[in-house]
Amino acid sequence: MSNFMEWVDRRFPATKVWNEHLAEYWTPKNFNFWYYFGSLAMLVLVIQIVTGIFLTMHYKPDASLAFASVEYIMRDVPWGWLMRYLHSTGASAFFVIVYLHMFRGLIYGSSREPRELVWLIGCVIFVTLMAEAFMGYLLPWGNMSYWGAQVIISLFDVIPYLGPILTEWIRGDFVVSDATLNRFFAFHVIALPLVLCALVFLHIVALHKVGSNNPDGIEIKDNKDENGKPLDGIAFHPYYTVKDLVGVVVFFMVYLGVVFFWPDGSGVLLEKDNFAPANSLQTPPDIVPLWYFTPFYSILRASTSDFLLILTVITGVAAVATFFIDTKRSNKISAFICYALLAVGLSIFDAKFWGVVMMGSAIVVLFLLPWLDKSPVKSIRYRSMPFKIAVGIFVIAFISLGYLGMHPVSELSTIQAQLCTILYFSFFALMPFYTAWGKTKPVPTRLT
Amino acid sequence: MKIGNSIMALMVALPFVVSAPNVMAATAEGVVLDSVHIDSGDTPSLQRGAALFVNYCLSCHGAAYMRYERLAYDLDIPMETLAEDFMFTTDKPGDLMKTAMTEDDAKEWFGVAPPDLTLVSRVRNNEWLYTYLRAFYLDENSPNGWNNSLFENVAMPHVLYELQGAQTLVGHVETDEGAAVETSAHQNIVGDTIFEIQKVGKNSPEEFDMAMRDLVNFLSYLAEPAQLQRRSIGIWVLAWLAVLFVVSFLLKKEYWRDIH
Amino acid sequence: MSSNEDSTNENRSRRRFITGLTSAAWAVGAGFSVTPFVLSMNPSARAKNAGAPVEFDFSKLQLGQMVKVEWRGQPVVVLRRTPEMMSGLSDVTNLLADPDSVGSVQPTYALNAARADTDRNDVLVMLSVCTHLGCSPVEKLAVGPDPEMGEDSKGGFFCPCHGSKFDLAGRVYKNVPANKNMDIPPYQFLNENVILIGDDSARVS
Repeated sequence: MSNFMEWVDRRFPATKVWNEHLAEYWTPKNFNFWYYFGSLAMLVLVIQIVTGIFLTMHYKPDASLAFASVEYIMRDVPWGWLMRYLHSTGASAFFVIVYLHMFRGLIYGSSREPRELVWLIGCVIFVTLMAEAFMGYLLPWGNMSYWGAQVIISLFDVIPYLGPILTEWIRGDFVVSDATLNRFFAFHVIALPLVLCALVFLHIVALHKVGSNNPDGIEIKDNKDENGKPLDGIAFHPYYTVKDLVGVVVFFMVYLGVVFFWPDGSGVLLEKDNFAPANSLQTPPDIVPLWYFTPFYSILRASTSDFLLILTVITGVAAVATFFIDTKRSNKISAFICYALLAVGLSIFDAKFWGVVMMGSAIVVLFLLPWLDKSPVKSIRYRSMPFKIAVGIFVIAFISLGYLGMHPVSELSTIQAQLCTILYFSFFALMPFYTAWGKTKPVPTRLT
Repeated sequence: MKIGNSIMALMVALPFVVSAPNVMAATAEGVVLDSVHIDSGDTPSLQRGAALFVNYCLSCHGAAYMRYERLAYDLDIPMETLAEDFMFTTDKPGDLMKTAMTEDDAKEWFGVAPPDLTLVSRVRNNEWLYTYLRAFYLDENSPNGWNNSLFENVAMPHVLYELQGAQTLVGHVETDEGAAVETSAHQNIVGDTIFEIQKVGKNSPEEFDMAMRDLVNFLSYLAEPAQLQRRSIGIWVLAWLAVLFVVSFLLKKEYWRDIH
Repeated sequence: MSSNEDSTNENRSRRRFITGLTSAAWAVGAGFSVTPFVLSMNPSARAKNAGAPVEFDFSKLQLGQMVKVEWRGQPVVVLRRTPEMMSGLSDVTNLLADPDSVGSVQPTYALNAARADTDRNDVLVMLSVCTHLGCSPVEKLAVGPDPEMGEDSKGGFFCPCHGSKFDLAGRVYKNVPANKNMDIPPYQFLNENVILIGDDSARVS
């Protein structure tokens, strides 16, 4: 065996890779609950790819056959129903895991120096995953698939001049049609999965270059023994592989529990209107995206002309307030110009335009996190109270937006969504201030 | 981890806090549905429902994703019975349960093509179907003489007339009075609607309700035949995961003795 | 961490035992998980239905005539052989690779020189799939010289792909690429005119 490995190692860095990324990848010894979700996200990616391959063997990307081919999978293909439920539930599981994974990064400061690239690549993964999920959702060719695609593609309409040309180009037709289905199929089964795999690879390469953060938010590399091994570090393999194995079992209990006992999630995981075939003449009564898009969808719907008025006032106040901030004169002026331009823009363009812009910004703003956070410490354990309160409010706002987006609009819910939208953006816009405000706890030099 | 815990608590509690006003809005729509007992393990009920479906529904509605053969396997129907009592439109047991009526004929007769019913229980819900099937009443103003209190001016006539008989609309139960409304022997309440029984069919009202429960039970099975296997396999899967949890947890503890 | 690292034999064997136990439990789980994926590639209910037995009424078929019937998407030859064709079968025995159909696929009731049900042995029901590489051979029913079948052909089947030759019972000639006689599917007579291809369950054996 060792002779064989020597033979291989002279030609391929097998042992080197094994050691660098598993057996001698030194990992902080104090990982908690929140640290399961990275490996689980990879597991779900594999599940989605494997079940996806098997679904592709039976699915037909043709507007006249697609809906029936899904029912064919559900009924005629041996175990086809299991492949389908694993895949449809897997999509939701993926987002649950990714949201928790991102939240972990937020509370323990994992995006901060030197891990900015890990965070940025992760954000690109998140955006790619949203595109992957959106395109996959068209494939069953149910009525909700159809109208969901119709609505989301129409978002591009707001782009001045280019919009109508662009939407036609994306659809390949004047409406969502067979051409759209066929190209979404191509993106969903090959283009985006390849991109996702490449991005995940880069995410891990970047992580292993800088090393993992931990719940204390301190660098284990600052304390090394005489051999250069971090004193608070343990080998990823076997210690975290066996630990993650337990996490995997618990995840499977929840995931397979849903697959076998609650695959439609009472209309949340598989929407009722999507069991009717696509009908280009009849819109379902309540068009709602799947739950993982609803926070952003709520922000889109929150944009009304009244709301823009309020936002104009807020940006106006912010523009004036810049003069009272203790900073350089040039900073003040540039900030003032930005806010003033924004205020002018808000009063020129209409609510539909700003809805799309706000929805996009809600995602883009995530990329800026490493630079918005000015706290001297990373982990929430040692942060000042204002940050803890802000995170609490942010979580409430985000979940509320998600909840509101799953239900039809009412006058009250629009106001709730608008309030939550302001809270959502305030979390990021005010972050440079509240993270620097208040008294932080002393950070230990070694892991606790 | 105190902060983490309180955040988790907030996450759990929040949707209920936010939901309060929306729940009110939902009930304001005012559709009252009767609850129905669905049990995919009740094979005799599924068999009776299947027979009703084939006799009364399949002449106009298709179940075009379902194969006759599967009824025999899933519902313990002998192949001979299947061929004699169920297969009117085809002679191959493996064929799909398509309707005998063409779409053009259907449009001419009813104005709209009757929808395929394979998935109707997943599009609507079972309570809706159970209420709808029992809510037909005589209406002189309707082209076919029938109307439905749940689905007003529906194109479908009262196909189950010979079983239920005929009833006329009397009025609605006032919501604040609830179940306390007194009804005479000649009256029948479906959802929140009171009907006067005009002509008794082959079934008594109780028998008809049972028959409709069987039919809806069957429709629920029809929408997802895999549910019969799904749950029983799921129990084994979870049981095995429990075993995996124990051994994996022991393994983790064993290795982590090095650390602690 | 190294301070209390296990070094005793007892600890080491315990660790090995738990590792083995966990690996075994996961291996069993993995085995069960793979099964549905493998089975999902089997013929579906639709494919099975499309491959269901086919009825064929051969009363309109004249003596010496042949048709191809589709069963499971494959061509099945139904040929009513004339007495002349039948007698030709014994004339070619010496030229055949496997005249007694020892190595070929056929139901037991068709294991004879005519390779047909003895009650109606003039009716040939045969899968028209060459045993070389799966092409469908061309019928050469005429007796007499034939460019492919030879100077004194008794009639037969010729595969255009690689030149394999078969007699009128689907038996393969010597010295051609194919090495087996063509398959006879299960079949039964529903009445004197109608044949059911693909099902012989009602046959009294």
